[in-house]
Amino acid sequence: MKQIMMLLLAPTLLLVVGCGKAPTDKLAETEKGVLDAKLAGASAYAAEDFAKLEGMLTNAQKEIDDQNAKFMLFRDYGKAEQLLASVRAETPKLIEETAKKKAEAKDVAFKAHDAAKEAVKRAQALVAKAPVGKDRAAVEAIKNDAKALTASLNDVQMAIDSEDYLTAQAKAKAVQDKSRALAAEVKGALAKVGGAKATPATTGTKNKK
Amino acid sequence: MDRCSSLVLRTGALLCALTVPLLAACVQQAPPDLVQSVEDLDQQLAAARGAEFAPEDYRQFVQHWVAFKDRLRSDDDVIGWPWEDNPFETDLRALYEEGSRVLMVATDRQNTERQGAVSNVARLERRLRRFTSRVDRIGSRVALGEQRVETELLVKQARSFLEQGHFAHSVRVAQQADQHMASQAARLNSELSRYADKEQVARWRAMVRRTVDWSKRHQAAALVVVKAEQRLTLYKNGRAVLSYRPVRLGFNGVQEKRYEDDGATPEGDYRVVRKRDRGQTEFYRAFLLDYPNADDQRRFQSARKAGVIPAEARIGGNIEIHGEANRQLSETLGCVMLSNRQMDALFHEVKVGTPVTIVGAVDVDNQVAVVLAQLDQGNDDPDDDSADSQDAPAQPDETAVEQS
Repeated sequence: MKQIMMLLLAPTLLLVVGCGKAPTDKLAETEKGVLDAKLAGASAYAAEDFAKLEGMLTNAQKEIDDQNAKFMLFRDYGKAEQLLASVRAETPKLIEETAKKKAEAKDVAFKAHDAAKEAVKRAQALVAKAPVGKDRAAVEAIKNDAKALTASLNDVQMAIDSEDYLTAQAKAKAVQDKSRALAAEVKGALAKVGGAKATPATTGTKNKK
Repeated sequence: MDRCSSLVLRTGALLCALTVPLLAACVQQAPPDLVQSVEDLDQQLAAARGAEFAPEDYRQFVQHWVAFKDRLRSDDDVIGWPWEDNPFETDLRALYEEGSRVLMVATDRQNTERQGAVSNVARLERRLRRFTSRVDRIGSRVALGEQRVETELLVKQARSFLEQGHFAHSVRVAQQADQHMASQAARLNSELSRYADKEQVARWRAMVRRTVDWSKRHQAAALVVVKAEQRLTLYKNGRAVLSYRPVRLGFNGVQEKRYEDDGATPEGDYRVVRKRDRGQTEFYRAFLLDYPNADDQRRFQSARKAGVIPAEARIGGNIEIHGEANRQLSETLGCVMLSNRQMDALFHEVKVGTPVTIVGAVDVDNQVAVVLAQLDQGNDDPDDDSADSQDAPAQPDETAVEQS
């Protein structure tokens, strides 16, 4: 009789223990995946999709908590495992989409940086020909502006290096605009003096002030 | 018995025939049009950047929506009587209401942020225009070095972020630009504080008075240059007879002269030591001054000892009052430059030994002091039209003052 009872109870006990075990390992693995997506930039580059992923994870966690609150015999983590599996299935897709958007932003930033470098180079070439005319103050200011633009190109590179592509692109565009304005200012000055080259300052005391 | 069995069978069949359709009609499903409506709402929220402008509300909506979609995907059927509410429909309507509310909140906040960023950038650009105009008015563009362009680039970035819809970025960069301008204003105030110093201005006024008195006592000509007004006045026998404005100073003219090539026009009591006529100077006609005098030498040595000027710097010389270059090109590193016609008017009045007094200002409300105060205040009230009129450049003035 005892043996019959044991034979009847054993599968039941196994079933209860199997269904009653919370999927803590799978939960930890899923949470790590979502964190990886965040670190990959999903919250910045795919904010809405990342919010959905977080929503799915929260629902899975809530389901686990609900089951934990039940009496051991009545716990069933099947649905929680399904929800966690859904999150794990979506996470790599989100990471891939994030990488794609980040690559696009990086490409835009690089192109803007290249365009800015070209614009600064053209402006510098014109500044070298800037006439030292009556408006000496303007010439000195133009030289300062050219120096500042060159320094700002370094700031663009730093933003790209730190993967802040939004700032890099905005700064590069600003440098490009200013370089064009500077080039136009120098061209205007050159046109006034007929394109004459700047005369280097003489070394004698006569012209030193 | 047969009749009884037959009756039971027929009754059972009738009951099944009635029950099965009834049961089938009670399996409740999510109305597809409502599901689509909530899907569409989800897309609208993504387009409205719900996660950015209503993060908490959006997160909750998404959580409920995802949970509902999980219920749909599961195999559980919901059975209910036809007169009972469909829980899927009820939940979908609740979701739709929630999503609509979140969309309204996100859209309102986005509009508010946009309007804030738009007015902020407009204010900033106006402030930069006024700042630049005022700095140029006192000839201090070069003094600010590369800081000017750094500020301009920040303002452009603020505009660029605004146009791309990144309002928080725009506001953050605009704040940096404001701080830059405040820092530049502080720097100029520090370097040019002499112009707002009553005692200093009184000392300058006294210098001018002494020169004018000398002119009267010696019945001779004297020249006075006031840098803040960019004005040169010829006195004869103690009376002003000619006045020119604006005259050109060095590229850092209003600054205190410290060393050679710094672009500042020196301040002090000088004399003409040589007159250069046409053909004797590249600047048409010129009066060479005795800069550096003893005071200049003393100041230079003190500055060098204090380390405020580069160790290799020289005091320089060759400060003149001169005309425009014969060539297309000329250099002004601290001289006072007039037009050739003006030099013609002065040339025969001025002799070797004529005193030339150069001061910063003779009035505490001089242009440099006024501009410094304006730069300090920011003065970016959009309704303040007087600020723009104050920035208008002064009209040229060539006055021949009649002797009584």
